[in-house]
Amino acid sequence: MTLLAAIRPDDWNLPLFLHLLGAMTLVGALLLVAVSLAGAGRGGSVATVRLGFRALLFAALPAWILMRGTAQWLESEENLDEDPPEWVDLGYLISESTLLLLIGATVCAGLAARRARRGVVGGGGLSRAVVVLVAISLVAYLVAIWAMATKPS
Amino acid sequence: MYDWLLFLHLLAAFMVAATAVMYSAVALGASPGTPTIRVADALWNIGGLGTLILGIWLALYVDGYEIWDGWILGAIAVWLIATGTGERARTELAERTGGFAAVHWVRTLAVLGLLVLMVWKPGA
Repeated sequence: MTLLAAIRPDDWNLPLFLHLLGAMTLVGALLLVAVSLAGAGRGGSVATVRLGFRALLFAALPAWILMRGTAQWLESEENLDEDPPEWVDLGYLISESTLLLLIGATVCAGLAARRARRGVVGGGGLSRAVVVLVAISLVAYLVAIWAMATKPS
Repeated sequence: MYDWLLFLHLLAAFMVAATAVMYSAVALGASPGTPTIRVADALWNIGGLGTLILGIWLALYVDGYEIWDGWILGAIAVWLIATGTGERARTELAERTGGFAAVHWVRTLAVLGLLVLMVWKPGA
């Protein structure tokens, strides 16, 4: 059983590598955003708030696209697209719902960066909203990582 | 058992990659602040140990792998490079020396190399 689990056709390797690269970059960028903006409300600098915005716009969103696009590629390589198992459906549910959260967080972070430039400490409540949205996404991704690794059902 | 080992090994790999992403922001000129660097370092320590210990455990557990397989020995060697350059990047950043960015990018390349080895498993 463990031997079977370890065998994978070579054709799956490139999409799997890119999928993991996208997912890891996405999670890393979100952790950067969450940790740097969590302290922004307590006197964080304009640069910290701007970093949160840029990490979302230039790292998290492109990484999400890479992760999601290669998920589709992998699904087609594995011939799972006709009758996808539950863990694949769960992956899509999580990725698509968190995209909305990421877009919301990016908009809030952009507005927070603008406010911070005008002198509002740490971008005000918008920075806290970004942290909440990103934290929810990170919890969802933890579930997704578990589902992708253990493939329940 | 295999599923949980793989999940925790993957989670540890995500922590290592997260550190690479967070330090990349610094290497690109951002100033994320001391708490962010502390979290990145903690993730590196936990993730680094986790990938090694759980990776070796997986190699012993899975029937098709042996600890002396070329790709596993190669991964351990690359892991050592990543750990060494990671430690040096941390020191260079703390001492604000000019070599931080170069050392960090070598560490990031090593992390990417680990991912390539884990996916392609050459010789397995």
